[in-house]
This record gives sequence, structure tokens and C-alpha cells, in this order.
Amino acid sequence: MADTSLSQAEARSEAPRPKTSWFSAVLYKSEALRGYLLMSPTMLILTIGIIIPFFILVAMSLWTRDGFGFDTTLTLSNYARTQSEPIFNALLQRSFWISGVATVATILVCYPMAYYVAFHVHRNKMMWIILMTLPFWTSYLLRVFAWKVILGYEGVINSGFMAIGWIEAPLEFLLYSQTAVIITLAHAWAAFAILPMYVSLEKIDKSLLEAATDLGDGPVARFFRITLPLSMPGVIAASFLIFIPTTGDYITPALLGGPDGAMIGNFIQLQFGPVNNWPMGATLSIVLMLWIAAIALVFLFLTRKAQEKIA
Amino acid sequence: MDVVDQLGAVREGKLSRRAFTKALLAAGVATATVPLGARQARATGDQATYFTWGGYDIPDIFQPYQAKNGELPNFSVFGASEEALTKMRGGFVVDVAHPCNSGMPRWVQTGLFHPIDTGRVEGFGDIIPSLVDLPGNAADGGNVWMVPFDWGQTSVTYRTDLFELEGEESWDMLWDKRYANKLGSLGSGGDAWWCGAIKAGVNFDDLDTDDAFTKISAVMREQRPLIRTYTDDTTTLQQALASGEMVAAMTWNDSATLLKAEGVPVKFAAPKEGALTWVCGLMMHKDAPNPDRAYDIISSLVSVESGKFLIDDYGYGHSNAKSFDEIPDERLAELGLSRNPDDILSAGHFQRPMSQDWETRMNETFEQIKAGF
Amino acid sequence: MSSRTDPGTYIKRPNRALQIYAVIFLIVLYVPVLFIPLFSINDAIHVKFPIEGVTLRWYGELWARDAVWTALFNSVKVGLVVAVISTILGTVAARAITRYRLPGKSALVTFIMMPLVIPGIIFGVALLVLMSRMGVPLSLYTVGLGHLIVCLPFAVATLLPRFEGFDPSMEEASADLGENGWWTFWRVTFPMVFPGVVASLLLTFTNSFDEFIMAFFLTGTDPTLPMYIWGQLRFPQEFPSVLALSSLILFISFILVFIAQRVGRMGLDD
Repeated sequence: MADTSLSQAEARSEAPRPKTSWFSAVLYKSEALRGYLLMSPTMLILTIGIIIPFFILVAMSLWTRDGFGFDTTLTLSNYARTQSEPIFNALLQRSFWISGVATVATILVCYPMAYYVAFHVHRNKMMWIILMTLPFWTSYLLRVFAWKVILGYEGVINSGFMAIGWIEAPLEFLLYSQTAVIITLAHAWAAFAILPMYVSLEKIDKSLLEAATDLGDGPVARFFRITLPLSMPGVIAASFLIFIPTTGDYITPALLGGPDGAMIGNFIQLQFGPVNNWPMGATLSIVLMLWIAAIALVFLFLTRKAQEKIA
Repeated sequence: MDVVDQLGAVREGKLSRRAFTKALLAAGVATATVPLGARQARATGDQATYFTWGGYDIPDIFQPYQAKNGELPNFSVFGASEEALTKMRGGFVVDVAHPCNSGMPRWVQTGLFHPIDTGRVEGFGDIIPSLVDLPGNAADGGNVWMVPFDWGQTSVTYRTDLFELEGEESWDMLWDKRYANKLGSLGSGGDAWWCGAIKAGVNFDDLDTDDAFTKISAVMREQRPLIRTYTDDTTTLQQALASGEMVAAMTWNDSATLLKAEGVPVKFAAPKEGALTWVCGLMMHKDAPNPDRAYDIISSLVSVESGKFLIDDYGYGHSNAKSFDEIPDERLAELGLSRNPDDILSAGHFQRPMSQDWETRMNETFEQIKAGF
Repeated sequence: MSSRTDPGTYIKRPNRALQIYAVIFLIVLYVPVLFIPLFSINDAIHVKFPIEGVTLRWYGELWARDAVWTALFNSVKVGLVVAVISTILGTVAARAITRYRLPGKSALVTFIMMPLVIPGIIFGVALLVLMSRMGVPLSLYTVGLGHLIVCLPFAVATLLPRFEGFDPSMEEASADLGENGWWTFWRVTFPMVFPGVVASLLLTFTNSFDEFIMAFFLTGTDPTLPMYIWGQLRFPQEFPSVLALSSLILFISFILVFIAQRVGRMGLDD
């Protein structure tokens, strides 16, 4: 509707010009074309930045390394390697495990906080939200490093516990372990958990809860019947926002993971570094993407099923 | 898309006020950097860039450079020689880089470097000849590819009070199951693999054989569960040794020297099988943007002043013979060095150049082993 | 929508446990971050607990360390450019998506949002491969391109709701009154979506400023601030100065947010 008016306007402004070229005539008629023309710079960037690189990535995954160059005969040997050599699947599994645990931990820990700000804070909600997200104005790298200090051998936790007398010798598993990676990831991505969950909780119509109360539901029942299901979109969004980026993280494992904490991201990055096997790096990236897509689809499917059951 | 709605709502709802807030913040950051505009102008484009190992980006070895040019050169740091080469092959351009003798022929092969006119390096005449005459170093016209700068050993630094020696000092110390999870190592294959070779008893002549790979892999796999962490950062190892988090680690000379200076009871082992020895030096990039200043960097590094610092503070050998005149003999003995590099270098296992294929295969194998496979 | 008009009707009793939880949560959230200023005044190079004395010398040294300021300046440059371009593109895209019937619209939106659902390392790798095949040398431009890809979804996600929630009849009215498309946009549309535009600018700037993964793969000789910090993390000679810089940035954010809160209370609607 808006467009017919606009096209009338255009027609009016174009009318004085006697010769309208074929192109503007087509443009004038086709809304889709106009729309896409408007989008063209964006689409150009998308093409250069996403579509073409991905094609090249796929192409490269089908090549093999040849000294410093590439042997461009197409072959699936890299993919075959990912299946035949156990290291790749093991790293993938480990990455998904670490990210998964971190995601669950973050959501569990942050949900009450989001709930608190949505329901129990009545003034200055904005301030609370800002307070919760301000720490993320610092560099991600430095926050990871801060955890290294906390979890370290002579770090805050160990010195503190020893000073109190809870432990005699420093806890060694705190650093250079998968535990360290999980803790750090959970802390670093907390904001991405809180915000979507907060928005979801905030949107819940309070009258529903009042109605439930009136109908005799206790607080626990209210929570499970109404609040939790209605906040699920936020929880799902939060899960994705944390899980997906963390599977590819290589900074945290590199600084804190130790030999057992290496994730697939580290290995991909190594292919472009000392191991010097770009095709393999490309292959691993694509495999990672496919796995994430698969997990995401399964997750969405399951939650939809669950939501149908609840509703 | 629900996720998008969420995000949209999040950003929109939350930020309608934060918008104002953050606008101020962005403005604040921008204004904070504006006065610096003037400083940037006099910038980094002018001084030469020195691409080097961590620990060498310090003013102490650039006094002559600073005296001549008024400022320090720009630094870019790497943790492993292979990482540096990959970066440069990817297009990273510097003036002077700092490879070691085992990598030098491969670096030359990439065609990224320019022979160095020895006449333009101040003090070149005082450089110990045996360090210059390394395989692959001679270029046309009496030039060299790499000007030697520092030499030393890779060995075990261990806490004399925490590590109970059984018998002589040996590489076995880093395979000692009594100290599982209290051992450390430099993470780069360029050091670790070769030390593994020494431990496995593989002769360096035979490194490029499948048998060598099998033996060394076995040895590295055996070591992995005992290692607390592999790192490129010598400071991490030093701190761990200082705090007792580790009782022994595979390091270069400087770690032991620095720790001793801090009063930590450590010793740089002289393993009975022999330490790993190497010579490192300076190469000039063929597209160096500041060739004159590049020569200044090289001259500064091989100067006696820098040499004195390198020997006394870091415990490395220096390529300039005259630097050793500045150090009393007892100190040299204390540091385990000698005026004649050959004494040390040939007493240990001197690293030698290998082919690129070998390097890649070695790195790939080692990364897999480190990951646990 | 939610009963924002009636905030207090539902939960009247404050939940003590939850309150305590919230406070502990904030403490745990902030403590690691507060270590940064803490160690920036530590009188030692090594970041080790406990502190060895207080000093402001790292802040003094910060002024002298050119490399730090260069990196900061690079990050700000890239951030500003990326913010502006991605917001412009996002605005245009949001308008096109909401105002025009485009065939394949959902595919288009999915594509734009892809960087949100794919780990950054994959994009970094893909772009690196592209740049190297095309023979494009790595530089701040390649980093900018990488950041643009990653920030565009945020811009679109921020602006889309704004355009969607905005009554198109306003635009129609303006058109009926004789304004052409461009003018309509500036005088009618733009002011309405302005908060979204500002939000998008800030969000994309923030994203680009702290972005590490794309920068890691696509940086040439000029480092961005995160790249520089990464270098220093591994070789901590200059590390305390980096901590000092980060503390400054954190400090400035705090102050500005505080001021904005005050000013905000004086007139902006919540």
C-alpha cells in the first residue's frame, strides 16, 4: 500500500521528464526490483563476505596441500581423514561437551538473575541491566586472563583458601583443565544469557500470573506452568547465543585449557599456522558448521515438541 | 525468526536509553584518542620493525639504535619460528626477522629475504667466524643471509630444592613420573621434538626417517600426561617454576638466569645426553620498508653493549667476540658459557636445517600428540 | 504486552533468597573484571596474587608506549568505519525488507543473520582463504571487511524492529503531500528510527572494537587493540601498560554511563 502511494509520487515527480528510460520503467513497475536495488550494497557485501568465501572454503576443502601450494585436483581425502583419524571427532566431541556444559551452567546461573530483574526490580531496571552488561566493555582477552589469575596456582582462590586453611596445597585442577575453560566461558558469555532471558521474562503478561494465583496455583506451580514455558524463547535464544560461538573458541582453551583442554577451534587455527594445511583447516571448518547446524536443528525440534506438549 | 525477534527486542528495548549512554561513551573514546592524533603522525611508519622472539623486544639491546635514531624500533613478537615464517609467507612485511640456524635455509628458500651486506653492519668484523660459516649462510658477493646474533642451549631448568635428582642430570628428568603434572615444556616442535630426539637416542642424522618419527612420537606421548602445560611463553614457565607449580621445565638459558637473579633456587641442567644447542640471527626482508634502519637494528644487536646485556642478564652467548671481554671469567663459568661457542655448541646436539616437508610433518605430528593422540 | 504500567501489582513480597543471589551474582560477575584495574596498579610485571605494592607508574608508562596507542587508534578507526557502514547498510536493508515485497525475503534475512549463528573462526578462515586466493594483502581494510560481515547482522537486527514497528502511513502521508522518496526518508522515516540508528552505531562499534577472531586471521602489519593485547598476553613485558589502558577504558565507560543515567532521568522516557 505504501508503495502504490510512493509510486504515484514518483510518477508525479517523473512526469515532467519526457523520456523515461526502459530501465526506470521496469524499476517503476517492479517492486521487487526496487527493493533489491535498495539492498544492493548490502548484498554486495554479503556476496563478497559470505557467499564467495564459503564457496572458496568448500573448494579448498576438496584440495590437498602440496608443499607451500595446493594440489587442486578435487578429492574428498580430507573429509575421509576426519573420519579415519580419531583425533578430529574426539576434538569435536570435546568442544561440544565443553560448550554444552558451559551453556547449561550459564543459563542455570543467569536465569534467576534475569528473573530477579524482570520481576523483583521495580525501579531503575535500566540501571540493573547496564550493571550486568558493563563488565563486557572490557576486552574479552583480558577477562580470560583475569580468570587465569583467579584460578592460578598462586591465584586468588588458592591463596585465599590456603590462607583460611581450607586446603593445604594449591588445587591443581583449577587451571590448565577443561574445568577452567568451562568456568571462564560461562563467565565471559553471561551477558548473552541474561539479556535474551530477561527480555522474554519481561514480556510475560503479568495478568496471566495473577489469574493463576486467583485460580489457586502456588508459586512453584505458577513458575512451572506459566513463567518457565513463556520464557522458553528467551532461554532458547540464550542457548544458541552461547553455544554456537563457544564451540569455535580457541582463545580460552589456548590460555587456560592445558593439553587436555584443547578444542576444535585450536586445531583449525593450527592448520593455518605451523601445521600449514589450509585445505584441512577448511574441511574442519565446514565439518564444524555442519555439526552445529545438525545440533541446532535437533535442539529446535526437541524444544518445539516440548512446547507443543506444554501448550 | 524468534531469535532475531529476541535480539531485536533486546537491542531496541534495552538500548533506547542506552543509546544515549553509549553515544556518550563512543564520543568519549573518540575524544580521548583525538589528542593522540598528533603523536601518531610521528609514527610507526618511520622506525624499522624487528620481528623477534618474546623477550627480545626490550630497550637494553637497542641502545646504539636509540642513540642513532632517537627512538626504539617497532617490535612484533612471535613464539615459534614456524609461526613467524607462516605469518611472513602470508604477507606480513617486516624489516628484520630473527630465525635460528635450523630454519635459515628454509627461510632463504621462500625468497622473502635479502642477503645482508656485511660491510654495512657495524662490528661485523668482530663476529665469531664459526657462527657465520653455517651451512646455507653464504650468499653471493661475500654477503650472508643471516647475521648471527645469539646462541645458546635448550635444556631443563629445575628447582634444586624441589626436584630430587636420581643420579646425574638428564633429560629423563622431564619424563619423571614422580612429578606428574608438575613438569612444563615449551610448546613449539622446533624445540620440543628435538629434545625428544635426544631423549629417544635418535641421532640427528637420522631425523628424517620413519623410524625416528615412531621413536620420538612414542617418547613424546609418554611425556604428555606428565606435562602441566605446553606454552610459547617463557614467562609462564618462569613463574610456574618460581611458585613451585612446576618443578622442572624445558626452557632456554634465559629462564634459568632470570630466575636465579630473582633468588629462586634453580639450575640449568647439563644433561648427560647433551643439551640442544642452536645459533640464531638476523635476516632482512627483501621488501623491508626501512633498509637503512634495518641495518641499524642489526648493528645495534651485534654491538658489544647488547652483547654484554645478553650474556650477563639473559645467559645467552653473543656473536660478537669482544662482548666476552666485558664479562669476567667466573661469571662466564657460572653461566655455563664460553668464549668459544664451539665448546658449548658441539658439546651438545647442534640443531641442523631440515626440509620444509619434514618441518610440516613434524609439526603436524607434534600437534596431534599434544592434543592427546 | 507486559504490564509495564503496573510493575508492582504482581510480586509484592521481596524474595530474600533471590535478592542475596542477585548480589552475589553481581559480585562474582565483577570480581574478575575488577582485577584488571587492580593489577594495573600493581608494582610488578608479573600478574600474581598477592599484590606487591601500589604504583601508578604503568599509567605513566602507558603514555610512552606508542604501540599501545597505535593499536587503540587502529581499533577506533576500524570501529568507526565499520559502525557507520554497517548501520547505513543495515538501515537500507531493514527498510527494503520491511517496505518491499521481496521474493526470497526469508532466505535473504537468514543469510544476513548467518554470522550470528556460525562461530567466528569459520568466517575468519573463509575470508582469509578468499583474500589469499585473490592476492589481497592483509591490512586494516581486510580486518574492516571481516568486522563488517560480523557487525551487519547486529545492525539489521537492531533496525528491523524499528522499521517494523513504525507505521508506514506516516510515509504515505508525506508522499501524498508531494515529497519524493529521498526527502520522505530524511524528514519522516529517519527521525523515527533514529534511536535504532544510534543503537546500531554503538552496538556495531562495540562489536568491532573488541573483536578478536576475525582480526587474528585478517590482520596485516597494523594491529588492532585486541591483537596487540594478545601479543602482550603471551609475552608480558609490556603487559601492565595494557592493563592500565583497559582500566582507563572501563573507568571512562563507568563514568559516562553514570552521567547518562543522571541526565537520562531528567527527561528521556524509560
